[in-house]
Amino acid sequence: MVILSAHNITKIFPGVVALRDVNFDLRESEIHALCGENGAGKSTLIKLLSGIHPHGSYEGRFEVKGVEAKFCGIADAGRSGISVIYQELALVDEMTVAENIFLGREPKRFGGFIDWPRIYREAKALLDRFQVTLDPAAPVRTLGVGQKQLVEIVKALAKDSRILILDEPTAALAEHEVLILLDILRDLRKRGIACIYISHKLDEVLAIADRVTVLRDGTSIITKNAADTSKAEIIKHMVGREIADLFPRRASEPGDVVLHVSDLSVAAEGSSEALLQRISFELRAGEVLGIGGLMGAGRTELLMHLFGAWGRRLAGKVTLRGKALPPGPPSRLIQEGVVLASEDRRRYGLVLEHDVGFNLSLSSLDQFSRGGFLNRNRETRRNREFFDSLRVKATGLEAVAGKLSGGNQQKVVLGKALMTEPRVILLDEPTRGIDVGAKLEIYEIINRLTAEGKAVILVSSELPELIGMSDRILMLHEGCIGGKFTRAEATQEKLMAAAMGQQHVELT
Amino acid sequence: MNSKLTIRDFALVIALAAICGWFAVAAPQFLSARNLSLLMTELAITATLAMGMLLIILPGHIDLSVGSGVALLSGIATVFITNLGLPAPVGLAIGFVAGLVIWFMKGLLIVRERIPAFIVTLAGLLVYRGLFWLVIDNHTVPIVAGGQTNLYSLLSTYYLPPAAGYLVAIIVVVAAVVAGLKSRAARRAGGFEVEDGEASFLRLFIAAQAVFLFVIVTNQFRGIPLPALIFGAIAFAVYLLTQHTAFGRHLYAIGGNAEAAVVSGIPVQRVVVTAFAIMGGIVAITGFLLTSYTGNSTTDLGEWMELDAVAACVIGGVSLRGGRGTVLGVLFGALIMACLLNGMTLMAVTPEYKLIARGAVLMAAVWMDVRLNRA
Repeated sequence: MVILSAHNITKIFPGVVALRDVNFDLRESEIHALCGENGAGKSTLIKLLSGIHPHGSYEGRFEVKGVEAKFCGIADAGRSGISVIYQELALVDEMTVAENIFLGREPKRFGGFIDWPRIYREAKALLDRFQVTLDPAAPVRTLGVGQKQLVEIVKALAKDSRILILDEPTAALAEHEVLILLDILRDLRKRGIACIYISHKLDEVLAIADRVTVLRDGTSIITKNAADTSKAEIIKHMVGREIADLFPRRASEPGDVVLHVSDLSVAAEGSSEALLQRISFELRAGEVLGIGGLMGAGRTELLMHLFGAWGRRLAGKVTLRGKALPPGPPSRLIQEGVVLASEDRRRYGLVLEHDVGFNLSLSSLDQFSRGGFLNRNRETRRNREFFDSLRVKATGLEAVAGKLSGGNQQKVVLGKALMTEPRVILLDEPTRGIDVGAKLEIYEIINRLTAEGKAVILVSSELPELIGMSDRILMLHEGCIGGKFTRAEATQEKLMAAAMGQQHVELT
Repeated sequence: MNSKLTIRDFALVIALAAICGWFAVAAPQFLSARNLSLLMTELAITATLAMGMLLIILPGHIDLSVGSGVALLSGIATVFITNLGLPAPVGLAIGFVAGLVIWFMKGLLIVRERIPAFIVTLAGLLVYRGLFWLVIDNHTVPIVAGGQTNLYSLLSTYYLPPAAGYLVAIIVVVAAVVAGLKSRAARRAGGFEVEDGEASFLRLFIAAQAVFLFVIVTNQFRGIPLPALIFGAIAFAVYLLTQHTAFGRHLYAIGGNAEAAVVSGIPVQRVVVTAFAIMGGIVAITGFLLTSYTGNSTTDLGEWMELDAVAACVIGGVSLRGGRGTVLGVLFGALIMACLLNGMTLMAVTPEYKLIARGAVLMAAVWMDVRLNRA
């Protein structure tokens, strides 16, 4: 019996169609996997099903148990029995397991006082029922990631959820924890609970799911029984796009090696576990090196580390034209001719409440300073130069940065980076969330840079963009190099396979 | 930068005019030359400190230790001069350098060890007060033996002769006109819209009138007080620093978006430590002015001044989250607070009600700010 169904869902964000005519249904006692590339629309769909994007902000209808659902918020979805378990866990570290399970709906007694004995009693009963061997009085901060995930699930089930949505539940789990989780999901299935299971790990998907739906570019491509499909077929549907003439890459003659990275291993600050492992590559002048990989593969971390803004180097060497590249800070790297245009424009890119001119020249103020004083004239002339050549569409240099569209904000971020006159340009998702016209302009800028003999690293989640704009491509898989390709040999299937790595979770 | 006037800017002027107007009626001696001269000196002392506070709040920090710092640094100078008999300039120099060093180290604690400025400076508020009491040995120490004068006492008792006062006014106005014309020419050369000539003239004309009015009034009572000149110089320096140097841009960028500032290659730590070191120097100067005005180092000197400085900033439109605020705004904020305090003193308002009134004005100013921002 169908418990949840979505009919012709279309969701439009300013400038981007996130979902278009998506159809999807979930049956009772079913595990239904949702697959797709980054940005295919999975997260948007979940946010819709869980009430984060409220009724009225999308077109189409979705039904829970045959009745149209009109959620105004997460609480409404919760009342309809839908619970979402996110990648970033929503537990309070300083509270115990039991407190977390009953957070926000603590049983009361004596007219208002929390009924502590009952909380612990019921928490224990719940944990036992799902065969989770955890002490309800243990503080959550003492648990491992996998155990926390289990607490999340128990918390959801304690609310009598009939529909669980798990977003990349195994991304942070060790192998044995994955097995426990899958067992629990199978057990839940027997109890009639339905799951939407989102994962990049296709082995896992095929082992646990009853049906699989593939999303691509915001549309639902296909829904099949897991037994009737294969990894290869799913990947084909995930990437099955034609590379149109959208990518006007004009390769230029590669020059000398500019950046040389060998055996680089990096851990997050304050951790000893390497998130990037034994990364080696070289980058030549006039060349675009594309770096791809799934969410969490370490692409952004690699760029941020090269730019001296993230992580602690455990091993390896990075040289810039034969000289060791300083480990940081970014101000030093900019002096050496390395610059980064960050993926998160609003967070790392712009000072939003200030104007376009303020942002454009922010990294290059030394160029206009004499004796400590800024020469506003020269600054303005230079700003104007970049404003015009990047064709920023704004009322002028005095327009507030926060009010520009995504594409124009991206141009300002690029302009800020390019004004420093770099030799190596690190671009992290330079076309995310911007419209096709602005994308093309950014590709043209990349062509211009390489024609001038500059070296570009282009990180992108979109495989067609990687193939279309890179001379060589490096795929990352869980912090390691999953494969290296030249532009000629790269296909979306090969890249996707490399991004998924050779993972073989032994699944029983 | 944004040079457009907002409702908020007018609100400050209107509030100031209302306060002055009310006191002019309720306490006629408010507008006497003698009182206005006194008001200038009092304003100069808090406003100097507020200028330093602006440099700290712009990158999103706060300094609660300045009230105690004012007492400690000037107390060091007093003790060296009065108790140990050093020449006044040497004693003052020692206090000043102590300010630079202590605030530099405090800045390091904040950016290197990542202890929130709120905590570091709250600790400073207590520690400096204690150190101050040790330094002056819980006595009231005069800054100079009775009846004599030295550089220290002259800080608040020297007045610029009338002729010199007019000269200063002329220099300031001519410099403003030249700078204004140059900036217009630059904007035109850069292809920017140039503000309507009449409007710029009017603005300059009003400013020039204010400058001359200030000189005429103070000349009716001895001349421009030295603290007002010192404040003027510091305010101008802070204006140059915030609006015309890379350092100033960096302060705004750090307060506006600290993460973007790092990725934009701004040496965030160095900038913040420098701001704190400058603050140390300004705290020392404020301390010298205040102690000179009071005549001696007493145990409660400078108490709650940190709050006056923060209040002047906040009333003047400085965002406590950082990234927003100007010298002119802070000047108006300090003016409003100083007029309020002075007027209430003239009306013999008791200290209880003075505190309550100042708190209420602070609250009202921020409330208005929030409302206007929401609209």
